[in-house]
Parts: sequence; structure tokens; C-alpha cells
Amino acid sequence: MMRQVSNKVGGLRNLIFIGVLLVLILILLSDIYLVDQILEPLEYFYLFFAAVAIFYGIYPLYANRRLTKYYWQRIKKHRLSVIGLAFITFLIVVALIGPIFTQDPTKVNFAEKNVPPVGFTVQQFVYDLQAEEFVVQEIPGTWQHPLGTDDKGRDMLAMLVSGARVSLQVGLLAVLIAVFIGTIMGVVSAYFGGVADMVLMRFTDIMMTFPFFLLLVFIIFIFGPSLVFIILVIGLTSWTGTARLVRSEALSLRTREFIMASKSLGASDTRIVFRHLIPNVISVVIVIATLSIPGVIVAEAALSFIGLGDPTVTSWGVVLNAGQRSLDTAWWVAVEPGIILFLTVLAFNFLGDGIRDAFDPRSQL
Amino acid sequence: MKQGGLRGYIIRRLIYAALITLGVVTVTFFLLRVGPSSPADKYLANMSARTQDPSQVIAAIEARYGLDEPIYEQYIDYVVNLARGDWGWSFSTSMPVMKLIQRHWIYSFQLILLSMLFSASLGILIGIYSAIKQYTKVDYLATFFSFIGISIPNFWLGIMLILLFSGTGLGWFKVYYDTGLPLFSLANLKALVLPVITLGTGMMAGYTRYARSAILDNLRKDFVRTARAKGLPERVVIGKHVFRNAILPIITIIMFDLSGVVFGGAYLTEIIFGIPGLGRISFNAIFANDYPVVVTITLIGALVALLTNLVTDIVYTRLDPRIRYD
Amino acid sequence: MNNNILEIKHLKTYFFTSRGVVKAVDGVGFSLRKGQNLCLVGESGCGKTTIALSILRLIDSPPGKIIGGEVWYHGEDLLHSSGKRLRQIRGNQIAMIFQDPQSSLNPVFTVGDQVAEQIKLHLGLKRKQAMERASYLMEQVGIPRARERMKDYPHQFSGGMKQRVMIAAALSCNPEILIADEPTTALDTTIKAQILDIFRDLKQNRDMSILFITHDLGTVASIADRIIVMYGGRIAEAGTAFDIFDQPQHPYTQGLIACLPDISAQRDRLTPIPGMIPSLINPPVGCIFNPRCERRLPICSKEIPPEVFISGEHLVVCHLYSPLASPQDRREGINNVD
Repeated sequence: MMRQVSNKVGGLRNLIFIGVLLVLILILLSDIYLVDQILEPLEYFYLFFAAVAIFYGIYPLYANRRLTKYYWQRIKKHRLSVIGLAFITFLIVVALIGPIFTQDPTKVNFAEKNVPPVGFTVQQFVYDLQAEEFVVQEIPGTWQHPLGTDDKGRDMLAMLVSGARVSLQVGLLAVLIAVFIGTIMGVVSAYFGGVADMVLMRFTDIMMTFPFFLLLVFIIFIFGPSLVFIILVIGLTSWTGTARLVRSEALSLRTREFIMASKSLGASDTRIVFRHLIPNVISVVIVIATLSIPGVIVAEAALSFIGLGDPTVTSWGVVLNAGQRSLDTAWWVAVEPGIILFLTVLAFNFLGDGIRDAFDPRSQL
Repeated sequence: MKQGGLRGYIIRRLIYAALITLGVVTVTFFLLRVGPSSPADKYLANMSARTQDPSQVIAAIEARYGLDEPIYEQYIDYVVNLARGDWGWSFSTSMPVMKLIQRHWIYSFQLILLSMLFSASLGILIGIYSAIKQYTKVDYLATFFSFIGISIPNFWLGIMLILLFSGTGLGWFKVYYDTGLPLFSLANLKALVLPVITLGTGMMAGYTRYARSAILDNLRKDFVRTARAKGLPERVVIGKHVFRNAILPIITIIMFDLSGVVFGGAYLTEIIFGIPGLGRISFNAIFANDYPVVVTITLIGALVALLTNLVTDIVYTRLDPRIRYD
Repeated sequence: MNNNILEIKHLKTYFFTSRGVVKAVDGVGFSLRKGQNLCLVGESGCGKTTIALSILRLIDSPPGKIIGGEVWYHGEDLLHSSGKRLRQIRGNQIAMIFQDPQSSLNPVFTVGDQVAEQIKLHLGLKRKQAMERASYLMEQVGIPRARERMKDYPHQFSGGMKQRVMIAAALSCNPEILIADEPTTALDTTIKAQILDIFRDLKQNRDMSILFITHDLGTVASIADRIIVMYGGRIAEAGTAFDIFDQPQHPYTQGLIACLPDISAQRDRLTPIPGMIPSLINPPVGCIFNPRCERRLPICSKEIPPEVFISGEHLVVCHLYSPLASPQDRREGINNVD
């Protein structure tokens, strides 16, 4: 089915893509040498991968509406994955426009620390200035802080919204990097075979041997924590699975007749690679990508949780860390980010499962 | 002749593993040298700050680590040192790294072992049952719970368990691990209950899915029909014929999962519950900039994973008669 | 003269799928005598395998279900006997071998184990004796160096040898009836002949009843005592090899025979039966063959045809032979056979 994609998507698109890349590089160069900071490093990432996603992900879907519709019908049959998709969309919306509506997540206000969420009331020891002793006071939740505050008075809702932004950025970008690298390595390895294949696969084996999280921590330890870097590193450490799967998929495709037929018609090597191999591999890649996102989000949260995250950024892991400290006094600080992290992961797992079943030609739905 | 083939395979596999080990060590070395303000410098600064005579210490360290030598010599020294068992000195704990590891590896080991036993046995059993009763309520329930299990971030689960069982909740389990307890005591086991649940739940959910799908794959195979046609009771058909075929992919996945999921999970679990295993030691070392410890533990993680893969490969060839050793 | 050891009556096995109910076997009945080699013949999907599986209740239960009928064996209806009783019969008194020996043997157990399994179960022999017997059986079916090869695994055998292993296993408890589902289909022609020899030998020397299922008419011709031709889950015609090959009466059978390539005939084209196999979810009303039948009568698309015995044991299920049809219709039929 995806073979038809390669027919409609053509050389013109590749040209435009290269054009966009050149513009980006131009901006980058002028950023370094001429003007002061047009774009932040993170934004370069976004633009590059947005371009890749648009040209090689979204446009083919649009160009083959019938195909897209077919897959969409299949995905729709999985009620759970539709729920997952709905939740993710909700999360994206919250991440995009949420910060406009919420308070500043970093604003510290000790007068309002440890306020519970709306509907809960908590008893705390508060120093009463007049009586000059600690008295028990009842502190109710207010709509001013619908989800409560942490031990430094920061608004929970604001922090969670900020965290949503971070997690989604990390999730999408890191996975894009990982999948990008993995796909290229897999395809090159499968197509060129021989020495290239052996070298690349041994390298993949070596990288796969490192336990993912340990490697992550190790690299952050060496290079220091910053969000861009964390995204980069997660991406650079999780491509191995993709590389393996893409390679095996590409290998099985390579020997299929239509490649041989194409070759016998005189098509050049690169042409074969781009027009035939990659579109067929894309369906496998999409499934892997979707299923990798939750792992990546949890990895970033774990890093922040243990204190190796970007200190300038409020992510869910950071909030969880604060939560662990105040388990006795403010249990909601630990419970809330966990719930939303859990739901996000669950949503992506549902969606990924649905996509995988939809793309698997053998499963009847 | 078959035995010779197996031995040849093992030897080849060992050589391959050795090469990968070298590769792993090289990558580690490369990462260390490529990093900005190399941890070695920080290490140096820390070490010298703790002694009366900095210049001597600096000189000793430089000589020891060959920091002023060209890169390839440093590399060779590095590899040779590792091979000899000289893994550096941890200044934050004032002992050789090797000794530090000897003291603490047992905690990680018991945590991981118990978690794997717990999650593998329960997971496989539930998976098998779920597969046999496919499409029934039990199956849907089990599948649903396994989805939940793999989606819960295990460090959050740990915190929630602590919340539940600590002072504010039920006081059944002590929350922070008491290292004073003798290892083979019941009290120790009790103290490990929460960490094992934390680490094991996610794993168990995964194993349930794998076991279920492995059994399902085999349930519809022709040889199952043959077994039934022989008049074998259903429990033998499933327990012997199906199981023996399904166990191959199940074991493979469980063992290969080790390096990916388990170590990272154990790392976090140790930190949350205060278990002084290798993960926690490494974590402490990070904040103390005690880099030999961090490097060594990362390497150990990789090597254990490698060994596990090797053993799994070999066990697999013994279990599956179709594998040819040549 | 009733030495029918197996009697099947009104068997109906349906498969309940998401696309509808597939009526794989829709009212089939026949008998098997002692020492008789009965062949079920028909195209793929005509229900012959399903019948065989239904006898021993080996149908995959979702989605399949035996919804009606009786299978009488030594005075009990196998379709309604207890699980325990069924398991006593399976492999012991009624044994079955399947089409693809590669997938029908368990790849992780030795061949010896798999042959001995039934022996241990039904005959109660201990391991050593069971293995002795197994190796004897394997020799009997023509596996060379059986003793050593018992320790080998299925993948180490060729297709023909694997099938012999299956036969050895099936024979291990001296069953009264052997059901063979397309045992030679997956094999080369030369091996086919060897396996067929084994079957002939079984019939002659052991007086074993064999229910032989195949789509290959050629095979059938050489070993069958009685042939049942099936179409669309129902019986079309039944009789001896002479009846079927020399004097086929049912239009479908005639079509099948006409399809057989014949070197001596002066034709340069094969004559296929026009049309396609019917959907078993919505089978045609009346005679299931009627949409493709060149000699159909108006009644054929309304009522299911009756079973008529033309002579001796020759049975036809066709309106042309029912009392309602005229002799003229019938005559045209006989002349049409080449």
C-alpha cells in the first residue's frame, strides 16, 4: 500500500525540502556570525524536524488521502487508541496555550505554601505571630490554586502545564532524532550491506549493550544538564532499536521483486533507495516512533526527578522531586504530576498499540 | 559432531563478546575525553583539595591516569588498568572503587534477582492463563492491567507506595531500607517488599504481554492439533507442547530486557528507597564528582548486560533444536 | 450385513466468523466399514477436512462449532461422549494424520518421543518399552536406521520421512480407524507413491479402516474401495472407483473427471468447470452446485436434491435422478461424459 505513496511524492518535494534546509542553514550562519540570537538552539531543532515531519510525514499523508483515510478507519476501530489520541490532543492544546492562562510556575510565595487542591482541607502547623507559638490551622484549597501549591508556594497547575510543554517537546523531538538516526542507519546498513552493514551493526550492538538509563545518566554527568542537550542525548541513545527494526524491514524489502524489477529498468541506486525503500519502511518507523515516545518522556521525567534535569525548566519530574520531599505535608505535590505522567504514557501506549495494529496488514479489524 | 559445533559456537560468541566489551570500553573512554571540563579535572580539583600537598597529589594522579600523555597512550593505559582490576580510587568514600563495588553489589543483586523472580513467575503464569482463556473477561482484565502496569512510571509507583505505607498511611512496611539487617533474614525480605513491587510491577506487566502473545502464537499451530488427536489431556497439550515452544521467545525477551529496563529501574528504586546498591552509589558519586565510580558502574552495567545476553544466547541454542551451530 | 464401524449422520459444522456463518459441513452422512478404504474427494474448501476433524471433535472452538449430527462408533455417539471417553478413543482406536508433516510435528521434541507419547498414554508402557515399540514401528513404515534416528528432531527429516513418522505414531496403538487428511499433498510425486504403498499395505495386512481425504483424483483411483465426492459442504456423489470414474452421474463429478488431463484424448484444451466455488456463508438455495450446473432444472434452485441409489452402492444427490426428472434429461447427462 505504501508503495503508491512513492509514486505521488516526487522529486519536486525533495527540492523544496532542500531549499527550506538551505534557508535554515543561512539563518543559522547569520546567527553565529552576524546578528545576535535570532533563534534559540531549541528552535532550530523544532524547525528542522518540523520540516522533516512536514515533508516526509504529513505531506505524503495529504497527498494520498485515500490511504490516510484507510489507516484512519482502522485506527478508529480501536476505541482505546482513539481515547489516547484525544488525551494527547488535549495535552498538546494545554501545552501550547496553557501558559497564557496560568500563573508563573516559578513564582515562589512562601505565604501560600502547601495549599491543597480545591475540595481538600489540610491541617498544618503554622506559627501564629500573635500567640507566638505553633498552632494547628486548617488550610482549605482555593480556586486561586486549583491544584494546590508546593512547599515553596508555586502553583501546581502552572507547573504541570509547564511540565506538559517540556514533556511533549522532549517526547517529540527526542523521538524524531532517534528515529531519524535509526532509520538512516538501518536503511544504509541494509542497502549497502557488506562492510558498511557489519560496521554499523557492530556499533549498534555496542551501543545497545549499555543500559539505556545508565548511559543517559553517564552522558549527562559528563556534559551537563540542559534541555536541548537532554533531548539530544535521549535521541542519541535510543536509536538502536529503530536501527535494528528498520534494517530487518529494509532487508526483507530489498529482496522483493519490485526492487529487482526497478533495477532492471535502469533506475539508479539512490533513486531506488528514496523512492521505494524509504516509503515502505515509514510505516514501521511510525509505529516505533509512537511507541518510543512514552519511554522518552519517562526518561526525561526520571532524570529531572533525580536532579539531573535542566534546572531552569519546570518539568513533571522536578515537581515529583519536590513531592517526594513533602510526602508528609503535601501529598498532592507527589500525586498530581505522577497521575498526569501516567495518563500521558498510557495515552501514548494506547495510541501506539492502535497504530501498530492498523498498520499490520495481517491483523483483521 | 554436534557437541563440537556447540563448542565452536560458544567460542565464537565469547570472542564476539570480548570485542564488544572492547568497543564498550572504547566508547566510554571516548565520551570521557570528549566532554567539556572533563570530570577528570573536577576530580583532580577535589582530590587535591583534600590533601595538604596538592602538587604531589596532582603529580601522582597525572602519572596514574597519564593525563599528560598523548591520547592513544591514555587509551591503552585505561584499558590495561581496567583489565588488571585497577578501577580507580573513590575519594568521596576513601577507598578503591573495586572495594566499593564489592561492598555494595549485593544490594543491587538481591533487589534485581527478587524482582525478576517475582515478575517473571507471576507474569508468565498470568500470561499463560490469559492466553488460554482468550476473549474472556479474565483475558481483558489481565490485558488492561498489563497496560496500566507498563504505563506507570516506576519511580512514581515507589513514591505512592511510600505514601501509602509510611506514617501518613498504613504503617506495615518500613519505608527506608535498613542496612543493618542480615541478608538472609526474614526482616530483610520484608524490607524489600516495597522496592520489589516497585521495580517488579512494570516488568511483570511486560512479561504478561509477552507470555500471552507467545502462547497465543503457538496455540493455533498444527502440532497442537496433533497432540490433541493423540488423546493427550488438555493440560499436557498446553503444559508440555505449547509451553515448551513458547518458552523460547519468552526467555529471550526476559533476558534481553534486563539491560534496557531493569537496570534503569533498579537505579531509581535504589535511590527512592535508600538501598545502598550500585545505582545509589553511582548517583551519590555523580554529585560528588567522583568520576571513577560513575565510569566503573556504567561499565559494569554494560558488561553484566553483555554477559546476560551471552548466556541467554547459549541457553537458547540448547533449548531450540532447530538452531544450527555452524 | 452391518459391519459399519463408523456411522455419520446429518453432520453439520459451522464456523462463526465476523463475516458471517460459514456452513462448512451442511448435513453430511456416510458409513465406514471394517477394512474399507473410504476416500473423501473434493476441491479445497468443500468441507472434507472439517468432516474429519469433526469426527474426533478437533474443531477449533471459537470460531467453529459442531451444531448437529451424530457420529456413531461402537454404539456411542462421539459427538456427545465425555471428554475423557473421547481422549481414550483418540490416538488409540481412531487415529489421525494431517496434511503438512512439517508443522504437524512438534519441533522441539525428538521424533522418538513423539511416536512414543501415545504408546505411553494409551498402552501404559514404561519409557524404555515404549521407545522399543516406537522404533519398531518406525522401521515398519520404512524409516532406515530407526533406532538411531529416534533421537533426531523433526527438522532433520525429509518431508516423506516426516510423514512416515506421523504414520508410525498414528499406528502405534493399533487403531481400528485411521483418518488421513491429505497425507500426500505436501510431498513429491515419487514419495507420494511410497506413502500410498504404506496405506495399501495397511489395508491389506492389518484390515484397518481408512478414511482418506484428498483433492487428488489420481491418488483416489489407486487405493479407494469407496469414493465420496463432496462439494460445498455436502455430498454430491458416492460409489466405487468404477462408478465414479467410469460412470459419473452428478454433473459436478462429470466435470471433475472431464478436467483430468488425458494424454490419449484428442483434445488440446482442458475443460474447466465454469463459475466459482460458492460462498459458504450465503450458499445458493436448493442444490449447492446449481449456479454452475449446465444441466440444471428449475427445481434445482429451489429444493435440496434427494439422495438416490442408482445401483448397488452408487449414490447420487441430484434432481436429475429424482422421480421428478424426465428420462430425457438423464440421457443427455450420460452422453455428455467423455
